[in-house]
Amino acid sequence: MSRGGWIIPYIKQNSLRFAGIIALAALTLLCASMLTFTSGYLISKASLRPENILMLYVPIVGVRTFGIARSVLRYVERLLAHSAVLRVLSAMRVRLYNQLEPHALRLRGQYRTGDLLGVMSDDLESLQNVYVRTIFPAIAALIVYGVLIGLLGWFDPVFAGIIALYVLVLVAVVPFGSLYISRKWQQQLKQKQAKLYSQLTDSVMGLGDLLISGRQHEFAERYAEQERDAAQYERKLSRHKRYTALVLQTVVGLIVTQTAVWATGQVADRSMEATLLAACVLVMLPLTEAFLPMTDAIQRIPSYGESVARLDKLNDEWNEGSAMPAMRSDSVASPSAIGAIQQVQSIASISARSTSSIQMQQVQYTYPGQHEPALRNLNLTIEQGKKIAIIGPSGAGKSTLLKLIQGAYEPASGQVLLHGKPVAQWAQDIHRFIAVLNQKPYLFDTTLLNNVRLSRPEATAEEVQQAMQAAKLSKLIAALPLGYNTPMQEAGRRFSGGERQRIALARVLLQQTPIVILDEPTVGLDSTTERELLDTILGSLGDKTMIWVTHRLVRAEQMDEIVFIDEGEIIIHGSHQQLYATSERYRQLYRMDHPMMADRVEQEERYVVHA
Amino acid sequence: MGKDLWKLAGIRPVMVITAALTIVQTIVIVMQSVWLAQAVSGLFSGDTIQSQLGHIGGFGCALIARQLLSMLLQKLAYDFAERTGQQLRRALIDKLFALGPRYAMGQGTGNLVTLVREGIGKYRTYLELILPRMLSNGLTPLLIGLYVLRLDWLSAIILGLVFPILIAFMILLGLAAQKQMDRQWATYRVLSNHFVDSLRGLETLRFLGRSRAHAATIGRTSEQYRKATIGSMRVAFLSSFALDFFTMLSVAFVAVSLGLRLVHGEMLLEPALTILILAPEFFVPIRSLGADYHATMDGKEAGEEIQRIMQQPIPGQSLEHPITCSESTAIVRDASSGATLWNETSTLVIQDVSIHYGQDSDMSLTEATNRSDPSISANKAHLYEQHLPQQAVQATHQSATTIQSGTLAVLKDQYTALSNVSFTWQGYGKIGIIGASGAGKSTLIDLLAGFLIPDAGTASWHPTQGYGGALHHTSWRTGAAYIPQHPYLFSGTLRDNIALYEPQATDEEVLEAMQRAGLGKLLQSLPQGLDEQVGEGGRMLSGGQEQRVALARALLGQRHVLLLDEPTAHLDIETEYELKQTMLPLFANKLVLLATHRLHWMTDMDWIIVMDQGRIVEQGTHAGLLQQGGLYCSWMNEQWEGSA
Repeated sequence: MSRGGWIIPYIKQNSLRFAGIIALAALTLLCASMLTFTSGYLISKASLRPENILMLYVPIVGVRTFGIARSVLRYVERLLAHSAVLRVLSAMRVRLYNQLEPHALRLRGQYRTGDLLGVMSDDLESLQNVYVRTIFPAIAALIVYGVLIGLLGWFDPVFAGIIALYVLVLVAVVPFGSLYISRKWQQQLKQKQAKLYSQLTDSVMGLGDLLISGRQHEFAERYAEQERDAAQYERKLSRHKRYTALVLQTVVGLIVTQTAVWATGQVADRSMEATLLAACVLVMLPLTEAFLPMTDAIQRIPSYGESVARLDKLNDEWNEGSAMPAMRSDSVASPSAIGAIQQVQSIASISARSTSSIQMQQVQYTYPGQHEPALRNLNLTIEQGKKIAIIGPSGAGKSTLLKLIQGAYEPASGQVLLHGKPVAQWAQDIHRFIAVLNQKPYLFDTTLLNNVRLSRPEATAEEVQQAMQAAKLSKLIAALPLGYNTPMQEAGRRFSGGERQRIALARVLLQQTPIVILDEPTVGLDSTTERELLDTILGSLGDKTMIWVTHRLVRAEQMDEIVFIDEGEIIIHGSHQQLYATSERYRQLYRMDHPMMADRVEQEERYVVHA
Repeated sequence: MGKDLWKLAGIRPVMVITAALTIVQTIVIVMQSVWLAQAVSGLFSGDTIQSQLGHIGGFGCALIARQLLSMLLQKLAYDFAERTGQQLRRALIDKLFALGPRYAMGQGTGNLVTLVREGIGKYRTYLELILPRMLSNGLTPLLIGLYVLRLDWLSAIILGLVFPILIAFMILLGLAAQKQMDRQWATYRVLSNHFVDSLRGLETLRFLGRSRAHAATIGRTSEQYRKATIGSMRVAFLSSFALDFFTMLSVAFVAVSLGLRLVHGEMLLEPALTILILAPEFFVPIRSLGADYHATMDGKEAGEEIQRIMQQPIPGQSLEHPITCSESTAIVRDASSGATLWNETSTLVIQDVSIHYGQDSDMSLTEATNRSDPSISANKAHLYEQHLPQQAVQATHQSATTIQSGTLAVLKDQYTALSNVSFTWQGYGKIGIIGASGAGKSTLIDLLAGFLIPDAGTASWHPTQGYGGALHHTSWRTGAAYIPQHPYLFSGTLRDNIALYEPQATDEEVLEAMQRAGLGKLLQSLPQGLDEQVGEGGRMLSGGQEQRVALARALLGQRHVLLLDEPTAHLDIETEYELKQTMLPLFANKLVLLATHRLHWMTDMDWIIVMDQGRIVEQGTHAGLLQQGGLYCSWMNEQWEGSA
């Protein structure tokens, strides 16, 4: 996979555009200086009271031109800079997406995905500052530096050398020195703040427990103390910033004084016109202003490093387990495999929407870095049209089983066959066989209709309609003022958990696959909603294969098979009737979901005893 | 600016000193310019450098003095802002505790934490900036203008005229930018969220077989976003352009007019130079105000948000037993000595209680979720607008508030979570509270935990003799244990988590509580035993284990009242079964109030409260309710139907 940095390649791609922007930025700075320069010259010249007012014509035009040009150039430069940077952002987003896409099925569960993705997106955005806040102003300042020293060198190389040293203090010594000094404080502050952040999150999340424990004041006191500890670093940094400004301004003062002394000498030697004296001295103020942003530009470098490191680290982590078949989808994309892909696709287009069976033979899977296999010696055949419930405590291996069927993981030994071929070979075409409805189906920030259509954009209106009807959405949609076109996140309006599942169900139905995986779709719903949703699902699936991971036994009696998994193995397997008749454990659990039954059974038992 | 500023403790002396220092600084600026002009004009007229050393030295000293003064001003503002920020943060945390967990949940943990950490930081920056900026904008241009007027009235008029023109233009352009933002708001929001939306839905895209092709959509949408953003920036940047343009132009005008009068001999070089040097200084304050505009607006908004929370009425403050610091510690001592514990003859009385959710609890949840979107864009605008006046940002913020107030209007209607709930119980017992989601079960448990105060009616308890207090009173709270669906594990050791109610408990006591709560097996599997880190950043415990930790907490703390809110709804059926087997024996000789929609618990309860739409619709024993043939009976039958 091509990696490369997150900064350099984009500079290369946009080198011309960036060069133009930097040129504009430097021109802006030079115009501001020239405005002051020509003003100083104009006044000095005017004070000599030249006979002909036309002598002043050029400086007068110059003053106005530079004044206007400066603001116009700056406006144009800012627009172009932002446009260019947004272009880079687009490219980086596409790249990040392409890097994440092969791992799509493994993202969940590894991290708190929402947070992580948010952080990555923020990192990309903060990398825009690399250009706007660091590269552009820094290079523009260096150009001004070069122009200034070049011009002075033409007059007087020695003086140019002196000024070069002063400016070096402004553009390099102070910025890097300040970074060197403040860096450890910044790091310490960052650490302390992160700690404060998590501590505070902890106590807000556990607010009720703290209140009930009666220890809230103890906490608040401790927290305030740590805040004071962190504040000490903030104070140091703030003081540091003030002193840096003082040093910078002192150097500016020195430059101006030095220039005055030099210019006087030049005038005395008659090597410079007296009218340029004021201009030369005054121009130093706006010129030096060009160098002051350097400190801020350099100060930001560590934070870019952090963003880049975060982006790279995640990338590396995902690519580490390269034995995982997710990588296969990449390798398939290589030219040598294109033939294979085409072949697969032609098979898929014939066979999709017909029938398909799943065979798992002697499947064993161990997560990287773990000793105990998550699944061992698993044999399971699922014929087309079967309805299977998979149940077991959390951590038993239910999710691993699903991931293996979806081809997200490749078994360490044994085989998972879909339609007669190892799943991994279907690669991205797996969606023609298997649709998934999971615990929290993701609904995109667009309209309800678009969310449903997403699974098959080429579907006819009629097909969409049918899918929605089968998911029993019609009543809900009729009640919405905007109907199908209701945005998922219109201000204040939120669909309930059950409604969201139905929308996702319609999407799954529209996908028209022979197999549907249900991954605990009713978690978090109350019993009545749960029952209604399950009835809708069962009613709409028809002769599709259904693989249902569940933590309940509601509607278990409608399944063809119930598979109990514990510690990576199938421990009970059979139909509801079989299990109810033979397994005490199953009976106990079944009664949990059917308390009335327990009641009646007890009554019956009592009758038996009485009789 | 804000009138609220004047109410801050200790602001007056800071303002007075800042004002004085600003005046001194302005004088120094004028002196700096005068000395520089004198030196240059002296040198120009042929003086030796030695004869001008005094002026040059004066200029240098003034330059440094100016910088020192500005350091002093910054430090003054910083110290004041830091002090105020710390006080406010402490007050805010105390307030959050007083408002309780339901409020915190309604606001969203993330939002609150961000507000306490970053919000106060922003507000601090606002204070730090606003004080010196306000005064320097009020004083510096005025003083410089007066000095220029003394030297040359025409220049003073040019500068004086540009100032209001400048402000008028900035306001006009700001309004234009805002109008454009408002028009594009919806598109803008969708476009800016598209990327994160795609990342979050990546798994789903893959399931649907669309993930590959989606990369192109991301590129296309980003491009649209760029175009839309640049479109609004064209207008937004105009305001900083106007600021630049007019200041530059006025400096140019002043220079030209000075030059022309010098030619005609109506003016001398030295005052002309002074004015030329002072002219940019005249605009420095307004330019720095522009540069800090977004920070100021952000901070101001954060300040308003904090005030909104600070002004929330504290539950129970108006009632007879305000919760105070000293009282809570006193009661804890009582509780450990067993004086105020619930026993067989204690009585719980809930009488005609109604609770309405108004804008301060449930609604703010919706508000908070809406808030997240606009704030993303606001941050974005912040990123783009870096150097000068930030009208675009203002526009963003304002549209954000418009949307929120829209939501507010929709949701302003109160909705009643509990209405006329009455219930009395004496002594120990197991009480089940059952109902569909939204029926008011959790609200009732929160009322019983003292997190909510009845809007009407009373909720109180009575020990063997006399009146124990209202339920939000600490004496009740510290005798009760609250076990929500996801008990929160604090980041720390397992021991600390279990000893939450009893920090002084010995290891033996902790171990015993763990055994009884069924955590023995877990403990054996932990390499560090009791010292194992749990919670955020530590070992993850399963849902069932979290419940057991909460149980152990309650056992160790000898809390005789257990309040459980959906303890097993999220667990798989086997874990649920095992946990139930552990829990039932522990419920003996306690007052247990258990809210759930899992009907199987009800057969083990002594009394059942059936809730529907905020009311108690039925109550009685399991057998009694079945005979009544009401809602409860129909639920039970519904479950029966499925089984065959």
